[in-house]
Amino acid sequence: MSTEKLLNGLRIIDLSMGWAGPLAARNLADMGAQVIKVESCTHFDWWRSWEATPEWIEDNGAEKALAYLSVNRNKLDITLDLENPTGRQLLLDLVAQADAVIENYSGAVLPKLKLDYPHLKAVNEQIVMVSMPAFGTTGPWANYRAYGSTVEHSSGLPHLTGSAHQPPTMQHVALGDAIGGLNGTAALLTALWHKQKTGQGQFVDLSQVECLIPLGAEGVLHQSVHNSPPPRTGNDHADFAPHGVYPCKGDDQWILIQVMSEAQWQALQNLCTELNQFSDITDRLERRSALNKTLAQWTANQQSSELMAQLQSLGITAATLNNGLSLLEDEQHKARGYMQWLDRAFVGKQPHPSLPFRNGSDPSPLNTPAPTLGQHNKEVLGGILGLNDAELEKLALEAVIGDKPKLET
Amino acid sequence: MQQQAPHSTETKGSSQTKPFDGLNIVDVSGTVATSYACKLFADYGATVTNVESAQGFPTRQLKPFIPSTPGEEPVSAMHGYLHCNKASVVGNHNNLATEPAVTQADLIVYDPATLPNTDSLAGINTNTCAISWFGLTGPYAKYQGSDGVIHALTGLMKGIGEEAGPPIIPNGVQAQIVGGLSAFNGALGHLLGQLMGNLKQPFALDNSIFEANMCMTDLMAINAFNENPLPPRMGINRFPPTYPLGIWPCKDGWLGVTALTPSQWRAFCQLLSLDDFVGVDFFNASINRLASADVLEPAIIQALATHSTEALFHKGQAMRIPLARVPTMEELFTVDQYVSRQAFSNISMQDSTFLAPSIPFRLFDTPPHFGGRVAALGEDNGLDFAETKV
Repeated sequence: MSTEKLLNGLRIIDLSMGWAGPLAARNLADMGAQVIKVESCTHFDWWRSWEATPEWIEDNGAEKALAYLSVNRNKLDITLDLENPTGRQLLLDLVAQADAVIENYSGAVLPKLKLDYPHLKAVNEQIVMVSMPAFGTTGPWANYRAYGSTVEHSSGLPHLTGSAHQPPTMQHVALGDAIGGLNGTAALLTALWHKQKTGQGQFVDLSQVECLIPLGAEGVLHQSVHNSPPPRTGNDHADFAPHGVYPCKGDDQWILIQVMSEAQWQALQNLCTELNQFSDITDRLERRSALNKTLAQWTANQQSSELMAQLQSLGITAATLNNGLSLLEDEQHKARGYMQWLDRAFVGKQPHPSLPFRNGSDPSPLNTPAPTLGQHNKEVLGGILGLNDAELEKLALEAVIGDKPKLET
Repeated sequence: MQQQAPHSTETKGSSQTKPFDGLNIVDVSGTVATSYACKLFADYGATVTNVESAQGFPTRQLKPFIPSTPGEEPVSAMHGYLHCNKASVVGNHNNLATEPAVTQADLIVYDPATLPNTDSLAGINTNTCAISWFGLTGPYAKYQGSDGVIHALTGLMKGIGEEAGPPIIPNGVQAQIVGGLSAFNGALGHLLGQLMGNLKQPFALDNSIFEANMCMTDLMAINAFNENPLPPRMGINRFPPTYPLGIWPCKDGWLGVTALTPSQWRAFCQLLSLDDFVGVDFFNASINRLASADVLEPAIIQALATHSTEALFHKGQAMRIPLARVPTMEELFTVDQYVSRQAFSNISMQDSTFLAPSIPFRLFDTPPHFGGRVAALGEDNGLDFAETKV
């Protein structure tokens, strides 16, 4: 049994949009769960676009958003107008036959639609429901809005990154999303484990901000035990030198070097004799600035990936700083078959990252690319709920279902 | 005196039942990644046993240390955070198959780099979960890893910092926490597959911390493949595809701003009385605002400086703009939202109690441990592990 079929038999209803929620559900889809994504023609996943125009619709822009494609593979997709009583009832009919629901609407949306946990539990006592708003479903900020950037802002992390003379420093445009997604997967799996053992479903609350706080654990703990924050030292390390990011040959090329033992220091000195003017760790920490300058002059004439290989062959902790293009060429990723390729309508063959765990030497194979809007209306509403062609046609005529985005009037 | 939560609640909710009651997990390595993966199991009730060497797990050497008197062995608060509600025994890592805890385990979690030899796990016939920097195979498998190395290789680091560089190394042990979280997902997914009857054989998982951290940057590679590469580093707190996005000072603190959609941008202008910009159609597109950031920024900074952070935050949220307070480490413990949710909980370790992050996902009917006690090295030597097996 390979990983791709591990969770065969589980059905997840994915009401989430954007990055975090869809990633959480995608990981279960990659492990074989049947994940049914529910959008509507007017409230389609905003990850397809947050600035939709008639021209974008005409150009099939909804099917070309790379961000959407990467977090929705291996899923089925249906459209249902949840503000329409028929659409709402069809969702409840699906929930009645599902194991879990995941959503990341802002707090007031599902209660207004009468699709919050009590309503779902009324049709399926055993349902697991994971809600993952930015700040959690309880507390005074439960209904506050956020993107992945807002989540990072709120987590304390920016006060740990960079130097004291710099403003609180972000690491990513949407750090909260990816980490929230991994935690969403963990939340779903934990609740599904309990359901499998006991038959009991339940409500699961996840705060995406709280998902980021463990990443800053060192700072939180420092504050707690010392009653003061850790100093912001930029790329310097309190105990090690050299420790930093150094320029390499070419435009915006860099290498990270972290010498964390005397054995590594000796190896680096043997390679770069200019460093012989520096001695033990006390000396190196005292003259850190001169040390960094000397090392940077040496690295500036080196090609970063070649230097990484050379330093690593000597047991020195070092890495080239990749960008998008070099990630595709990374030797480790290539050797492990990390990127897989899926062909999809409107965009052709696209790279997809594998699951980051494998049972054996090969990554778990990926099966199907992200669905188009409403691609599986017939398969799901007909195949699972038993609607016939005439009923599906009527739903389409009444705009309860469809396969093209529409702008709200 | 360490900081403590105002209320120390072991559990919320009505039930003491935990999802992983009866599940036996053993960590034989004690890296941050293996420890965090096992912590998530322990927080939800698994019996987690650390099989440590006589010197103890590597996490016992990690900062920050609890202040102590001179001559005392330093005690790691990081170890405490990662290992509360677990047992500790001292074992023989040359032959783990004979360790009582290991023979009763449902899952062995390890980092091969910490084992004294490749045969340490020989003869074990249960599920295993290796967590290493780069995975068990490939040309980097024996490379020296670190959190910084992972952030460099995934591409995350290259986008952080000033345009001229150098890029900034993210703080702490973030990559390992992400690696541990991802390994928890892999291990639990496979255990669930066994429970459902879909997987009949023991599994041997290979978790790569490098690959786990790609979740933050894989879109960079996908965009580059489609000849739409991200622009070079744009400066501190400036990222595509939108503007304003960043952290700016107000009268009394830092405000996080994100305006993505046209309506959010118009509301943001209204909030700060930026009347010159609000009617300009060109600025309705996020990418146009990003291209015009140097024009917009002086006016935004000037306007923000006249307001209080707290007032702007709540008023902006009421206008559906995703604004944020950017709390310092000290402020984190007092933010009303986080206090109300017990986002931090008390860890008891030797004679000290301190605050650490609580688990971020909450099963309402089967709640997790909130904080707990940390076992001393070898405290559970001699425990009858057959009794813990269900």
